[in-house]
Amino acid sequence: MLLIGALLQPITSAPLVLFTYLVLALLLVTALTSALVRNTLWAIGSFASSMAALALLYLAIAPFLLFAVQLVIYSTVSAGLLIGLLRQTTGLERPPISPISRQWITGAAVAAALAALLVFVVAATSWPVGLLGNAGPALGEVLTRTYVVGLAVLVVILASAALGSGLLLAAPTLPSPRGGGSVRGSGPRR
Amino acid sequence: MSAGLNLFLVVSAALFAVGAFAVVARRSAITMLIGTQFMFAAGAIAFVAFGRFGRGAAAVDAGPTVALVVSLTAAAQLAIGAAMAVLLYRDNRTFFLDSDGE
Repeated sequence: MLLIGALLQPITSAPLVLFTYLVLALLLVTALTSALVRNTLWAIGSFASSMAALALLYLAIAPFLLFAVQLVIYSTVSAGLLIGLLRQTTGLERPPISPISRQWITGAAVAAALAALLVFVVAATSWPVGLLGNAGPALGEVLTRTYVVGLAVLVVILASAALGSGLLLAAPTLPSPRGGGSVRGSGPRR
Repeated sequence: MSAGLNLFLVVSAALFAVGAFAVVARRSAITMLIGTQFMFAAGAIAFVAFGRFGRGAAAVDAGPTVALVVSLTAAAQLAIGAAMAVLLYRDNRTFFLDSDGE
């Protein structure tokens, strides 16, 4: 039973601490990469990677439902939405440098090493019961009982966003003096 | 070695800074949109960390619930932002928000 105002103990299990540090480092590196690179497709890929890292972080410190929502819905849908945006406008750009350049090899080696370390840590960890998905009763049950108004508001927000983005895309655009405006984006264009 | 509240708050602040940098310093609408997503995620991490380690642990489901709401609100913002970026591209044939680009 939790005491009001009591601070829970930090994570001290060594593999879990290593996993947490690794995921946090991966999250920050991919976020920084996403903000710095100029190729839009790479930026979207880094963004999806950072959201997947965030999902892994939720796996360690939050209920499983949050991990599932973050990984399945948010990461996948947001990356798909952004890639769909590119396909509707500029098309998927080719990388400015060859895939076999030295930068690619170095980056791939570092990424592979990090991924291998992450897989090793996840596989070697004997996940302590009570640390993983440790936030008491199931979050879905709490959502549908305690926070039912918030859930309803969330549904309204998501429906409004879907409706609004659909209306924005369906609205006719006026011809622009700068040359665009009247053409609907139905395929890749340069 | 341990991982406690401070670590997650520092990472949350750093992620928010990265997002703010992307919004302020970059001129591509897509990069700015991604930056706002990072700022949302930073807030969600702070809520989850307070729910797991901080005094918010007294109401242990509050932090993850707020993080869930933040994530789905960010998804809604991304949908609207992507539609606006498409409109921007139709008008200007570029995602850059100024005429000079980056």
